Amino acid sequence: MTQSDQNNNIDLNQFNQVFFEECAEHLAEMEQILVSLPDEGPDEEQLNAIFRAAHSIKGGAGIFGFQDMTVVTHVLESLLDRMRNHEIPFSTAMVDLFLEAGDVISMQLAGHRDGAFVRQEAIEQISAKLQQVIDAGSLDAPAGSASAAMIPVPEEIAQSGTVASEHSDQRYELVFTPDPDIFRRGIRLENLFAELEELGELTVTAGLPATTDFNSIDPEICVCSWRMTLVTTAGEADIRDIFEFVADLDQLQLRTVSENVREISASDDSKAIATVTPPENTRLMPTGESAADPAGAATGRRAYDKNELAAGAYGRRTSEAESSIRVGVTKVDQLINQVGELVITQLMLAQTATVLDPVLHENLHRSLLQLERNTRDLQQSVMSIRLVPISIVFSRFPRMVRELAAKLGKQVELKTVGDTTELDKGLIEKITDPLTHLVRNCMDHALETPEARIAAGKEPCGTITLRASQIGGRIVIDVIDDGAGLNRAKILAKAAERGIPASDNMSDEEVWQLIFAPGFSTAECVTDISGRGVGMDVVLRNVQSMSGRVNISSEPGNGTRVTISLPLTLAILDGLSVAVGQEKFIIPLNSIVESLQPAPESLKTVNGGNVVHVRGEYIPIIALYELFNMDALVKEPGKGILILIDVEGEKAALLVDALLDEHQVVIKSIETNYRKVEGTAGATILGDGRVALILDVNSLFRMRKQK
Amino acid sequence: MQTGQELIGKNGTGVASEYLTFTLGSEEYGIDILKVQEIRGYDTVTHIANAPEFIKGVINLRGVIVPIVDMRIKFKVGVPSYNEFTVVIIMNVLGRVIGMVVDGVSDVVALSGDQIKPAPEMGAAMDTDYITGLGTLNDQMLILVDIEKLMSSEEMQVMEQVN
Repeated sequence: MTQSDQNNNIDLNQFNQVFFEECAEHLAEMEQILVSLPDEGPDEEQLNAIFRAAHSIKGGAGIFGFQDMTVVTHVLESLLDRMRNHEIPFSTAMVDLFLEAGDVISMQLAGHRDGAFVRQEAIEQISAKLQQVIDAGSLDAPAGSASAAMIPVPEEIAQSGTVASEHSDQRYELVFTPDPDIFRRGIRLENLFAELEELGELTVTAGLPATTDFNSIDPEICVCSWRMTLVTTAGEADIRDIFEFVADLDQLQLRTVSENVREISASDDSKAIATVTPPENTRLMPTGESAADPAGAATGRRAYDKNELAAGAYGRRTSEAESSIRVGVTKVDQLINQVGELVITQLMLAQTATVLDPVLHENLHRSLLQLERNTRDLQQSVMSIRLVPISIVFSRFPRMVRELAAKLGKQVELKTVGDTTELDKGLIEKITDPLTHLVRNCMDHALETPEARIAAGKEPCGTITLRASQIGGRIVIDVIDDGAGLNRAKILAKAAERGIPASDNMSDEEVWQLIFAPGFSTAECVTDISGRGVGMDVVLRNVQSMSGRVNISSEPGNGTRVTISLPLTLAILDGLSVAVGQEKFIIPLNSIVESLQPAPESLKTVNGGNVVHVRGEYIPIIALYELFNMDALVKEPGKGILILIDVEGEKAALLVDALLDEHQVVIKSIETNYRKVEGTAGATILGDGRVALILDVNSLFRMRKQK
Repeated sequence: MQTGQELIGKNGTGVASEYLTFTLGSEEYGIDILKVQEIRGYDTVTHIANAPEFIKGVINLRGVIVPIVDMRIKFKVGVPSYNEFTVVIIMNVLGRVIGMVVDGVSDVVALSGDQIKPAPEMGAAMDTDYITGLGTLNDQMLILVDIEKLMSSEEMQVMEQVN
């Protein structure tokens, strides 16, 4: 027994590190939730999250043999469970208590991991305090005569505390694949199962190889295998003892499993045909549940786990983890650069090969063609690594909006536009928090109650629109609501109250900017949704950290639009390359409306400036060669090509020599080694290895106005 | 002839450092070798709109956009011609990569402290502010340039000025 116990520990030691990490994560999560709890108490979700954290720590500690850690977590878990069932009301003092419990668990963790000193009395104290709350039914009730000795610690933990050689509940998974002759040897499996049942809770599932024809089964030959789950305090050796005369070593696979693993799937080569329950216990359960239930029965309160683990929740998580890997962005950048180099090399080869006789060097030419195709494919694949559609962020909002709407008694419809807009992975990660803040703000402050909306002559159902698009050199995300709009007077009053410098003759835009001041909140009451005044300044800070901008436009009664605009430095751009003189420029595709060769009669001049008449509109012509002081082949608008661009309603026609190609280009910063170049949003490297500047249409407009 | 003894110098300040020497017109210049990343031929550059004439443009250096300045135009020495012998010194200056077109690269030399004399006023086409001293090597004068100071200066317009 001791021998096998040691073996067990040696096997588990390599997993201890995993447990320590997970445990630390759970503790951090628990603390984070606790600290952020609103005054009136945690909602269901937060409570569940704290509970899950405590539960996971306890489960892990039990499995890895850190029995002392299960003591505190167990009492904590019990208390949280009672709170979930509304048996014990929440009070703010509990947060401190829970935090203290978390500290004690951290201390124990440090003790196991780094050999740090563990104050035993602290463990006893916190356990007693928690137990006291459980016994009293609430924290505010008169304190009972609680002491560490009085804690009704569950049997298995008490045992582990006193008798070191005893195990706590351990969950084993056994796969028993007997030899075909087992029945002929006179072995009765009922007896075997009955013996196992005596050790603890047992579930048995029989499996039949998929290849077996049911009609050809010989009852005297054993073709089945049995999969058993046993929750017991007994050690591995005890179980093996039972199998001693029944199974050879290789016929029995025995392993301890984490308590979280509730779902047991039938193995590939066999299909579950029946659930065999031991004779003493004639319950019949569906296979999926049968695995979960005995464990629950053994350790007491486990009914709650069913939902979170139902329908393969655990399995899903595993498969997700397997289908993706985390890679540093720098590695991807490096890859993109290297592939870029490869493309250039390939082009050089192709160029060199053009002088060779196509007939004599047919093979070479064919190979080069293939190389070209392969490098293009490779380049495209590599470039797509970094981009993810914004729908990843947007998809989390419908549920949030629904829940918040129900909570606030408001009717809200969420619309998303431009879900497919692709964003750099790094930006996606960073934009989630600010957007969540903004949507919450909309729900809480901006949108009115149905009654108020009807009174204002609006639909009772409010609308929040999330819109993503790529405009010019930037990615723009709008959060639009059709609520009450910002209240200028109220903001100014609040600013005065908070000591934020403001004056009555500020423009609307300046007034709207005030809500980004730290600690600013105009909500009449602080709710758990928002109104704590930490929203907008966090939004601004997060967006600025991505070198983005936040703009607000608002109309009283008609709603508010918050526009987040992010730079493209990380992104890849679809662009059209155009030639002006010797140079090539990239124009972002999404700002281009159309390109045309103007008819002479459509060209006019206004105050000496050229305009082109397109479908009833007079659009100013910007000659790129003029703007950039360079030589061009075409200087007459009538002879070149005009590219109609449209940025936020402002239109212009760019005069270029020729249209070249459509590209997907990596945006590179010129500023890394040089300074900002007016009129450009960066540079890119073209297929021939040359650098082309990417035009920033917005700043072209600015440059034209300055001229 | 250089010997180890000479390199160490007499007054203790003479720890030898190495310089890459290049020519601009008829003058010989030297920059700290540790600032030099590589030397390459002159390639087609992409011109930058509205940039001063001596900033030839930017090139693609293995995926990095690198600005190219022509010192011959900047300091009005030599004839700015571009052929297969035109040399670009790619330097690492203040965390930036910058290319510098020169007439030719000659040598790498080691100079000890006592071989370097302070530069007199009006010594070269370059402002004395950017000259750390004059080196003497085999009766040849070498103008040692503080390339960091030069490249970060306002007149080069290579970097964004802080103010």
